[in-house]
Amino acid sequence: MKVSRRELLIGGAGALAGLVLTPVPWKLLDDVSIWTQNFPWIPQPAHGPVETKYSACTLCEGGCGIRVRMAAKCPVGVAGVSGHPLTKGALCPLAFAAHQLNWHPRRLREVRHAGRAASWAEAQAALAKACGEGPIAIVDGRPGRAVSSVFEAFTQKHGGSYQVVLSAESQALTPYADWSGVPVTSLGYDLENARTIVSFGAPVLDGWGTPGRFTRLWSERAAGAADPQLRLIQIEPSLSRTAARAWRWIPVREGSEAELAAGVGRVLLEEHMVTLQGPMPRLPLAEAAARTGLSTEAIRGLAQIMVQNRPAVVIAADGNPEIAALNVLLGAVAASGGIVRKKEDIPSQIAATPAPGSLRAALVDSTVPWEFDAQTDAEVFRFAAWDGGGDSQGWLLPAPGFLEELTDVPTPPTSARETYAVALNLAAPPTEVQSAAQFLLKVDPTLPALEKVIHGRCEEIFHARKGAVYGEHPVAVTKIDTAQHLEEQLRKGAVWMGDPLSPGKFRCELKEWPMEKGVAHATSWGAAWVPPVFPALATKLYQESNLRELPAGRQA
Amino acid sequence: MSVRYGFVIDLDRCTGCGACMVACAAENNVPPASPRATPRTGLTPMLVRTVSNGMEGAARREAFIPIACMHCGNETPCVAVCPQQAVEVDKATGIVVQMPQRCLGCRYCMTACPYHARYFNWWDPAWPAGMEKSLNPGVAVRMRGVVEKCNMCPARLHSAQEKAAAAGRKEIDPADYIPACAEACPTGAIRFGNLADKNDPVFSAAHSPDTFRFLARLGTEPKVYYQSQQAWVKALAERDSDPPTEAQHG
Repeated sequence: MKVSRRELLIGGAGALAGLVLTPVPWKLLDDVSIWTQNFPWIPQPAHGPVETKYSACTLCEGGCGIRVRMAAKCPVGVAGVSGHPLTKGALCPLAFAAHQLNWHPRRLREVRHAGRAASWAEAQAALAKACGEGPIAIVDGRPGRAVSSVFEAFTQKHGGSYQVVLSAESQALTPYADWSGVPVTSLGYDLENARTIVSFGAPVLDGWGTPGRFTRLWSERAAGAADPQLRLIQIEPSLSRTAARAWRWIPVREGSEAELAAGVGRVLLEEHMVTLQGPMPRLPLAEAAARTGLSTEAIRGLAQIMVQNRPAVVIAADGNPEIAALNVLLGAVAASGGIVRKKEDIPSQIAATPAPGSLRAALVDSTVPWEFDAQTDAEVFRFAAWDGGGDSQGWLLPAPGFLEELTDVPTPPTSARETYAVALNLAAPPTEVQSAAQFLLKVDPTLPALEKVIHGRCEEIFHARKGAVYGEHPVAVTKIDTAQHLEEQLRKGAVWMGDPLSPGKFRCELKEWPMEKGVAHATSWGAAWVPPVFPALATKLYQESNLRELPAGRQA
Repeated sequence: MSVRYGFVIDLDRCTGCGACMVACAAENNVPPASPRATPRTGLTPMLVRTVSNGMEGAARREAFIPIACMHCGNETPCVAVCPQQAVEVDKATGIVVQMPQRCLGCRYCMTACPYHARYFNWWDPAWPAGMEKSLNPGVAVRMRGVVEKCNMCPARLHSAQEKAAAAGRKEIDPADYIPACAEACPTGAIRFGNLADKNDPVFSAAHSPDTFRFLARLGTEPKVYYQSQQAWVKALAERDSDPPTEAQHG
């Protein structure tokens, strides 16, 4: 058969038209497009029943309420809880990616001893042996939890000491505890009733205390207003995140905050701006001005603002007593809008002193900052969920990660009112991990079980008949039928908050103006909270933008 | 068009914490940075920039500007240049939607966007081993070679639409649809709502005297409004194409 040129062209044109008109090429393009979206190396989200759980964040001691989205029984999202009485839905940036921390490459999954793999049985035998040979110390980073009671019970039974590492926020309250005799865990800031807040370097808008509590308060009463209801004055050498948003930023020379406090104290007393009589700071005003780099007028102006817009409260970044002394002069101790006592009862022993050198062993809980150094020759049993780096000669014991263990969340350090929440083990922990409480229970099975302690605390709250439980709707404790019902509510993510107390009857008396640059127990045991590792998505903040810098020695 | 979703961002309330950036990435399965990623090559559909008044010492002031896709409502530049029709303005909601399945990675849209709010996937998305279990099941992971940007959390919109449909309603309950950034903002600086609804708080906020839009003179009618009472911050709004000065946080 002979094909003419005309037939060839007609046939070609027909094939072309057919190709265009048929769906085949478009379907192929579509399939290729879908196929390229599903290369086997492109991660696929897990699918399964989606549900929402409520709990409390345990990243730091702030105790923020969280809403956890679960898919196939695995946390896939974290958000704030708008009905939470302290945080009102606010969280720190790290919390939004905290559910990914459990798969962090530096997650600890095996027992290590002196840098080599070991077993739980060996660690258990080593601790049991140490208990028989001498006193041991247990170091806790968040006192007041149910597990803290287990720690105390163990040390009391086996001879040893229960030690506490105070957070930076708690350290700032230690001068008032020293002067008044009230335990530091019973003190807090009544920020909700303050009109002026003078922060000496405390990052009050950047994760300080319970992240969200103050940012919400500032947002409602201060943000953007030229004459706000709440005046935030930030004293800091550099323009920090808090200083950038403060009503006034007062830049001082690095390390001269205490001198500024002395200068303000002198103005308050010399110019009779306060009725209280206190010891006069030794530093002359002119000298304070020279050391801080401010004018005497600026210092006087600061004192006037503090006096004219009361209640005013001073917040220090650490336990510097010179700065704390300003609150005594201003009458902001045991006063509304100042330093208040949130508990009338005296808690169990809070010994914030370094462990004695004669210790046989020290067990360090996973809540203790990674940088903590036991400063002892004793054998160290360090619990941690993530390896923060560095060499360890002692025992490194893998602990449960985020949302992997049942624990309770007592009142955060800066809060003016008591709270209590229960954080559930929503995610299944790896089989290799154990909490410090589980470990101690294996060494001594007679210790109280964590569940029982939490149950006991719920009963205490129920029988006190005070405060309200904030769940779906706030319910007064008096309207809850049984302690079991209250516990059920807390285990569903509700939080109990006590009634507002009067500021509390306690006095801080200054016999002389404090001169020391810190308090001993704050420097040897304390560190500002920085997680041992950062969630992977924190790269958005420090690597993929210039918003923040990664703290030294940390990895995402 | 009865619904025109948009944001009103109060810059005087933004503390630059970055919660919106992390919440956005977690919600939309944006991967963590490749070791080689930089602020220029990273993936930040929501990006908080630090800007300053250019002064030093005590006179220095800084502000934080959350920048996402502006969802331009007029002559949308990215839509106009896309050869693949991978970007379109959803007529029902006003959202400028990026469809990575159609994107061939030419990056014309990135060049056309006056706000530098589009990002290219330079690397395969990767999470540390096992971490894929923590991904949001409602959002597909984008592959290397496509452009992405803020789509106003479409998984949340679909979820709200499904809920409304199940209840026999045509319109969603506004409380059911809040993008992750607005939900995460601890100071309430980022507000989200229907700009076409006079009863919606963002409508009045968008029309207040302190409100402005970046590069409004281009006439693209962005649906992201900003508020500030500081004159130097407002002055940034009409600055030329250079992005605001980055300031290293001290």
